[in-house]
Order: sequence, then C-alpha cells, then structure tokens
Amino acid sequence: MDLKSLTISQIQELLFSKQISAVEIVKFYLQRIKKLDPQIKSFITVTEKEALKQAENIDNRIKKGESVGKLAGAVMAVKDIFLTKDIQTTASSQVLKDYVPQYSSTIYQKLINEDAIVIGKTNTDPFAFGGSTENSGFFTTKNPWNLSKVPGGSSGGSAAAVAADFCQFALGTDTGGSIRLPASLCNISGLKPTYGLNSRYGITAMASSFDCPGVFAKNVSDLALVTEITAGIDPKDATTINNPVPNYSQILGDIDLKKLRIGIPKEYFIDPINIEVKEKVMKAAKLFESNGATLVDISLPSTKLGIAVYYILVPSEISANMARYDGIRFGRNTNNNPDITSYYMNTRGQYMEAEVKRRILIGTYALSSGYYDAYYTKASKVRTLIKNEFTNALKNVDVILAPVSPTVAWDIGAKANDPLQMYLVDAFTVCINVAGVPSVALPCGFDQTNLPIGFQLIGNFFEEAKILSIAHQYQQITDFHTNTPNL
Amino acid sequence: MKITPIIGLEVHVELKTKSKMFCSCSAEHFHVDPNTHTCPTCLGLPGALPVPNKTACEWCLKLGLALGCTPNESSFFERKNYFYPDLSKGYQLTQYEKPFVVNGKIKVGDQEVRINRAHMEEDTGKSVHIKDNSQELTLIDYNRCGVPLVEIVSEPDITSPEMAKDYLLKMQQIIRYLGISDADIEKGSMRCEPTVNLKIEKDGQEFFTPLVEIKNVASLTGVQTAIDFEIKRQTEAFNQTGEVKSKTNKNTYGWDADKNQTFLQREKEGSSDYRYFPEPDIPHIEFTKAEIEAIKATIPELPDQKIERYKKDFALNDYDANLLASDFSFSQAFEKAIGQNPESAFVKFTANLFLGAIKTYLNESQKDLDINKINSKYFKNLFDSVSKSEISATVAKQVIVESYYIDQDPVEIAKNSGLIQVSDSSEIAKIAKEVINTNPKAVDDYKKNPASIGFLIGQLMKASKGSANPKLAKEILEKLLN
Amino acid sequence: MSDPKISMADLEHIAKLARINLSEPEKKTFLPQLESVLEYLDVLNQANVENIEPTYRVNDQKNILRKDEVAESFNQKTALSSAPKTQDGYFTVPQTIKK
Ligand SMILES: [Mg+2]
Ligand SMILES: [Zn+2]
Repeated sequence: MDLKSLTISQIQELLFSKQISAVEIVKFYLQRIKKLDPQIKSFITVTEKEALKQAENIDNRIKKGESVGKLAGAVMAVKDIFLTKDIQTTASSQVLKDYVPQYSSTIYQKLINEDAIVIGKTNTDPFAFGGSTENSGFFTTKNPWNLSKVPGGSSGGSAAAVAADFCQFALGTDTGGSIRLPASLCNISGLKPTYGLNSRYGITAMASSFDCPGVFAKNVSDLALVTEITAGIDPKDATTINNPVPNYSQILGDIDLKKLRIGIPKEYFIDPINIEVKEKVMKAAKLFESNGATLVDISLPSTKLGIAVYYILVPSEISANMARYDGIRFGRNTNNNPDITSYYMNTRGQYMEAEVKRRILIGTYALSSGYYDAYYTKASKVRTLIKNEFTNALKNVDVILAPVSPTVAWDIGAKANDPLQMYLVDAFTVCINVAGVPSVALPCGFDQTNLPIGFQLIGNFFEEAKILSIAHQYQQITDFHTNTPNL
Repeated sequence: MKITPIIGLEVHVELKTKSKMFCSCSAEHFHVDPNTHTCPTCLGLPGALPVPNKTACEWCLKLGLALGCTPNESSFFERKNYFYPDLSKGYQLTQYEKPFVVNGKIKVGDQEVRINRAHMEEDTGKSVHIKDNSQELTLIDYNRCGVPLVEIVSEPDITSPEMAKDYLLKMQQIIRYLGISDADIEKGSMRCEPTVNLKIEKDGQEFFTPLVEIKNVASLTGVQTAIDFEIKRQTEAFNQTGEVKSKTNKNTYGWDADKNQTFLQREKEGSSDYRYFPEPDIPHIEFTKAEIEAIKATIPELPDQKIERYKKDFALNDYDANLLASDFSFSQAFEKAIGQNPESAFVKFTANLFLGAIKTYLNESQKDLDINKINSKYFKNLFDSVSKSEISATVAKQVIVESYYIDQDPVEIAKNSGLIQVSDSSEIAKIAKEVINTNPKAVDDYKKNPASIGFLIGQLMKASKGSANPKLAKEILEKLLN
Repeated sequence: MSDPKISMADLEHIAKLARINLSEPEKKTFLPQLESVLEYLDVLNQANVENIEPTYRVNDQKNILRKDEVAESFNQKTALSSAPKTQDGYFTVPQTIKK
C-alpha cells in the first residue's frame, strides 16, 4: 500500500481498521529510506531493529485487543541531539562519534510511551550550531526539493526526512530558527513552542535560555497531535512551566478568522528579504484578510538588534555548556598527553568542528573579564527591550505574521566560508527566541524555481493553541503544504 | 617595626542532606564504591539539567540567620567556569552576585568577626593519584560531585592564628547546634582556606604585604601552624624584597602538612578568569518573610545565649557553663536531667555528674549520649538521698552511670547492692562492739595513742561493707572506748 | 576603520581559557572571522538601555526546588559505560598534581 504523504491520523485509521499493520508501515518507510536517503542524507542512524521491534509489539497488542498509545503507528525521526538510551547519539559531531547514551531525553521517552515508532536519528549542524547542516561533522543533508540546495538548519535532517516522506513527523530544536527555517525551506510545518513548554532534559544543550525542542510534520493538525504529548512540566527541567496542557488537536477550529487581528511588522518585510518571498508572505496575509481578518501594521523597532543579542548570549551560554565535552566521562579523547591541560586542549582541539570552536571562542571572549558588561550585560538588557516589544505588540493584535527565511533555499557551499552571512539567515527568526514566544512556520508558496517559501505566525507566551488553530485554518483554505518534492 | 596579621577565612561546610544539591543521588560519599552515587546530572552527561535541593537552600539560609546575616530578597545561582577533572560539567554552580545571605557577625572570645556572606554551591568529585607501571594517573570518583556545600566568607577581622582556630571552633559549634552538618575538619566535611597578609608599621610608614590564600589545610592545628608559618614567611619576604600588596599579586599557596610549610601553587590570581554568569537552567529563588520567620523559628538557643543562661539561671561558673554548652546534645541531656528543678544545689550536683562520671563514661565507652535514657526523676532521687547522706558522693558517681546504662533508679541500685549509708547509731554501735572485741591489740594501741583510731574505723567500715556513715562510726567508737 | 577588536594574543588567550588547541591555519582563519562578528556586534551601541533590567530567563518563574529525596543512581558499570578510559571503578586522566 502506498502510504506516501499520509498524515498521522490517516495512517492510524488504516492501522486500527486493520487494513495495515504497524510492521508494514515501518517497512514502507524503511524501504523509502533505503532507496532515497543515499541522495538526501537526512539520517545518521536508521533504527531498523528498534522500529520493527516496536511495531511487532504494537501489532501484538492490537491483535490481543489490548490498549495502545495515542501515537501507535506514527513513525518519527529524531534529531541526533536528543539522547536515546542504547541508540547511538552523535549530535552530528566527531566529539560524540559512537556515543551510546545511558539515558533518554524526556520528550523522546514521552513519545515512545505513546507508541510512536523511532525510525532513525537525523543529521544536524554539530550540537545544532548552524543554519544549513553544512557544519555537520559527518555530511551535509540535501534539500529534497533540489539536491544542490541546503535544507536549512540546524534541524535540516529532520525537515528533509519529513519532506521526503521518510516518516510522518520529526523532532527538532529551535534556538534561533532551527525548526522554522528548515521547515520553510522544505515546505513542511514546524512548531517552535514557547520557551519552557517542552522539556529540554536529555537534549544536548546549545543555549539553555533559548533552546526550544519542537516538532516537524506534514500539516498543522499533526503538529498539534504530537505537541499535546510532548508538552508539559518535567520535574527534571526547572524551566518547564506547570500549566495544564490543552488538547491542541481538539480545538483547532476554535479561532474565528473574522474576529482576528493580525500584526504585520514592517521590520520583517525589508532588506534582506527577497522580493518573491515578500510577495508570497504578503499573499498569505491578504488571504487571511479576504477571509475576514484585519491586518494591522505594527513595528518591532529592535528587530535589527536581534542577531547581535543572539550572537552574544548564545555563544556565552555555549561556552559553558560545551565545557563538559572533555573526553573523560564520555565522548572521544586523545592519548599520550603529558598532563591534564594538554589532555583537554588536544581532545577538544582535535574533535570539535570549526563552528563549534568559533562559538565557544566568541562566548569565552564575551564573558571574559573586562568585556562582560559591554557584551553579556548589554545584550541581556536589549533582550528585555525585544521581549517587551513583542508582548506590547501582542496586546493589540492576536498574532504576528512574518516571513521565516529572507530567501529560499540557497546553494550548498554558498555561505559556508562566511560565518556572519550564515548568521544573518536567522534575521527573521532569532528575535522570537530572544523573546521566548511561540511561533509556527508553514508553507505559503514557491518561487519561480519551485523552491518552497514559508511564513510564521507568532503568538504570545503559551498561546500555542491560538497560533496552531489559525495556522490549521490557513491550511484548510490552501494546499501548498500538500505539495511534495518528486524524488 | 610593628606587625599585625590580617586574616580572613573561607569556610566550606558539607551539608548532611539525604540527596545531592542538584540531583537525587545520595549525598553519602564515605566508604562508598566509586561512581555508584552518580546520574546524568552529577556526571555532567550531555543534556542533563540541575534542580536545586529545597532543604539545602533552607539550611544555608538557616545558618546565615544563625550568623546574624541578612537574606537577599532575590538570589540566583551562577556558573563559575573552570576546567578540572573532578568538576564534571566544567563549571561549578555557586552564588556570586546574589548569595542567599550577607553581612553577619560572630563573637570569638571577646572580639567580633564580621561575616561577609554565606552562599550555596556544590562540591567536586574526589581525585586519587596513583603510579601505575611507571605511568602516573589520576583516578576520579564523582560520588562527592554535587554534594551541597555552604561557603562562609569572613571579613579579614582575625588577627592571630589562635583567633583563627577559635573562629573555626565557634563556627563548628554553631553548625553542629543547627544539626545541618557534622562539620568534621579531619573528615573534610568542614574545610578552611585562610587568606593572610600583614600590616607592617615601619619608621612611621604603613605597608601591606601581598595577599596569600592558603589551600588544602586539613586539620585545626594545621590551620594554626599554616597561618603561623605564613606570617613568618611574609615578614621575611617583606624584609628581603619589600614587595607590597597590589591588585595583581594575590598568590595561592598550598600547605604541606608533612614539611610543615606552605609552597607557592598558583601565581597571579588575577589571571584566572572564571567568567561567572547567571545559571539559565535554574529560576531565581526568593524566600518570603513568612518562610524566613519559619526558618528562624527552627534555630535552637545558640552557645553564647546558652552559656549566659546557665550562669544566670543556674549560678554555674563560666568554666562549667562552657563545658556543658560545648556540645549540643550533651547540653540537651543535661537540661533534661535538671527538668523542672532549677535550685542551684541540685543543678550543681547534676552538672558535676555530667562533667565527671558521665563524661568519663562516654569518653571511655566511645559512646554518644542517648538523651532518651536521661531521666530527671533519677537525678532528683539521687540528689535527695545524697543530701540525706544515705548515699555517699562516691557511690552516687558509680550508680548514676549504671542507672543510665540499665535505666533504673540509682537509689534502687544503691539499695540492692547494699550501698546505702547506715546512720542508725544502735546499728553501728552493734558492729563497733564486735570490732572492739575482735581487735584487742588495736584497742591497746588506741589507749596509748588515740590517733591510731583510724584502724578501728577501717575495720568497722569493712564490717559494714562500707555502708556505715564514717563520721558517726568514729564518734561511737570513741564513746565506747573511753 | 576602527582598530581591531581582537588580536592574535587575545585569540590565543581565550583559546587557552576554553581549553581548545588551535592549529596555526585555524588561528589565521578564525581571527578575521571573529573580528568581523565582533564588529557586527557594535550595532548594540545604537540601543538605549538606560535603567532597563537585564533578562536572564524569558519566563518569570521562581523557586523551582526539589524535595530532598534520594532516587536511584546509576550502577558503577553504567556510570563508566561511555568513558574512554577507566580503572577499578574510576574514570582516569593524566596525573593532575604537578610536583
Ligand atoms: Mg567556593
Ligand atoms: Zn546525581
């Protein structure tokens, strides 16, 4: 049976009506991966054994009429910075090559407990440091829509895996755009939740006050389905919030577009935005308008400072978070070091990728004595400004509509040697992370070369239900998200 | 040339909570197999996160309040970044800008030492250095990594090695009163890093020698001798080089307990850059007024107040009061024994038993005092019979220990073992007559020399198995013999 | 153009602080890259942050504390399972005390 581009609920219908078994579902995806992933390279590890074992277990329970989890039959790909017990977790870095964790990340485990099936671990920039997967310590993932283009990043492997139909949904993380950017370059839907909605426990830390684990899927209703499982307080992550988790998938129709006030921030429609991208994103806005919503021009004046704030605070936190990678308790080490200092310097010098080193160095510099106030303190204050601009704007509008990436997917290698240019691709995404508010990215068209274009809907703290509902209704009146690359 | 030592102490105290500071591993690390009390968080595995231990935070606040400190309205943890293998995460979680408490003071002798701050942090793992077929290795055990530590920083108000020792003893006593740590310096649950320099007045001028922080001092006497050594070393160094304190010349010296000397460990403290910044993984901590009051209420009467009360209410002398208050559980037992009878004769009597017989017994038996086995009634009864001279002071000492041991009224014990003094004249007269009849020679001696009556008294006491009241015995013998 | 923000000496100093050994070619590549990033960061000078409080965490929770209870730890084998070098139940590194 051809399961291509089926969503979670469609697959589950087939499974529960016994038209197909979980094993058959897994085999379908394994086949596609074997056939197509060699060109796309979205996976670092394909967990064939584990997936089939889970599937058999689910089939047995269905046969016996026993209960199964909410995501039984749903097949997921997992960004390789999520720790998965007994399954190799590399963070796409030579530092963790062959590392097999002793424990699992909280939200991965929550999904497994609901019988989601893990099909593999996906490629990313090392420790999620990047925007294209080109920094990966192993290989670069290709954009399924055009193999000479980047998929975006850092969660490029997960985005490509969903776009190429190697799974129904995938886990990613968004610290400065790492879910939304690849989602929009690969024509899929991605949710960057409010900071603190999804537990960070068991995910290699990039910037602890920014990192937001989240989901990729083929449409918004699947995002909702998975997010209602992953969300919620985790006693092991002191920054998760103890709010009741709504059944997002049950309330997707709740928002009345006619009453909706949508903010259009002028700072998100100027340079460096590409003209076609601007056009398509504005078209999405107009579609809301023609369906009764009101468009409101707003201004987020500190937007231009977002990248700078981001590239001070994030590397600062990185410089500390990466200190544990010392080759003593886990990870690779170097031998024949005369003393402990050379053990550290050689081990870290040998295995860390260039971008990992660069960010650690920037952060170490920003925190070092004499510079702390000029960089870290200053940036933390500007962070307050940016956060306030969002919360104030969202007092007058329900949601903010903006582009995700200034451009469509670019050529592999085009920005590889200029870190700053690479950092600037996050111009329209980082401020959302700086503020901590939620944002959902979804497809809104293609450029003349048939490369996907996406936009994002930004809500206030913990208003996932609202932005998902608006995004879902957009997908009821459009079909961009149903387009798939021909592979 | 006048030399005044300027000494400040950094004291680290390991709290005896059940679990570690930021994870749920057991905080026990003595005689535990290496790396068996570890988890993702204290091993610093990828993706692991810290969640602070409520009890530890409350105990840090409690200690601060006991030291007269003021709580900060809002405190937060920070990351102190440095690389060392016993520090699994590559940074230590500690408090820098906003410790839980600041600005306290304690009395040391008749002087006062100001406390700058007390803050919460985590301990590091243990390193073992070995030589393994010509290769020198360091072995790391993370069982201690992440155990709660409170760091108490004094102002440099200490002026002599002796005063430093007294400061530590006082700190230790207070911490033990609060029951939050064993504060055992030899075992390492209380550690101390003195910072020493000198104020030198020389031909009308004032000089300050460079600051020196002394590390790895592992005993009370160590602290004293190390500071002593530093004072001498710095005096000589000044005489030779004349170098004085500057922003950049703070040095770290290690204490070599075998050689009894300090040695230069790290120069130029200024160049080690810890890059502190607020820990993003842990939200701020703010104790409400009510919470602070509630914690205050759990602080017991502290040594200074207790000693004053003993002197005032019980008319005990300073020496006894100090001894009785020196150990918290000992003083608790003493107060239980006194119960509701504060009259000074009884209190003095009880104090003597505690500082004499009971202390001796505890020292010899190496046992801790079990307060549940202390019964005020027993002490009162014993006191009464001694005042009625039914029981001698000597007998009292024996029976009180046995009474504690088998939990029985000491007076009963005395009765059963025939240790009650007979003060009944006819009874004693009867025995006296026998003694006189059976000892004609001694009687003759007495006739010649009355001073020799001692022998007959001795015989009488023997015949009465020591139970006769000696004073009475002498009188009756003399009456019969004259 | 203003004088450089970061010298080769600075770069070597922070690389040492961060315990990262840099090859000579790496230094030559990184120095101009870091320089351009640091220059870019100057845009922050445009911001007026007078009496603005810094934000260290975006959501304003407080007092997230754990009850003092012991949960199960790793056994020794698990604790050491990913370590490159162990001995007698310990992790091992080159001698850390210099004499
Ligand atoms: Mg300390
Ligand atoms: Zn632990």
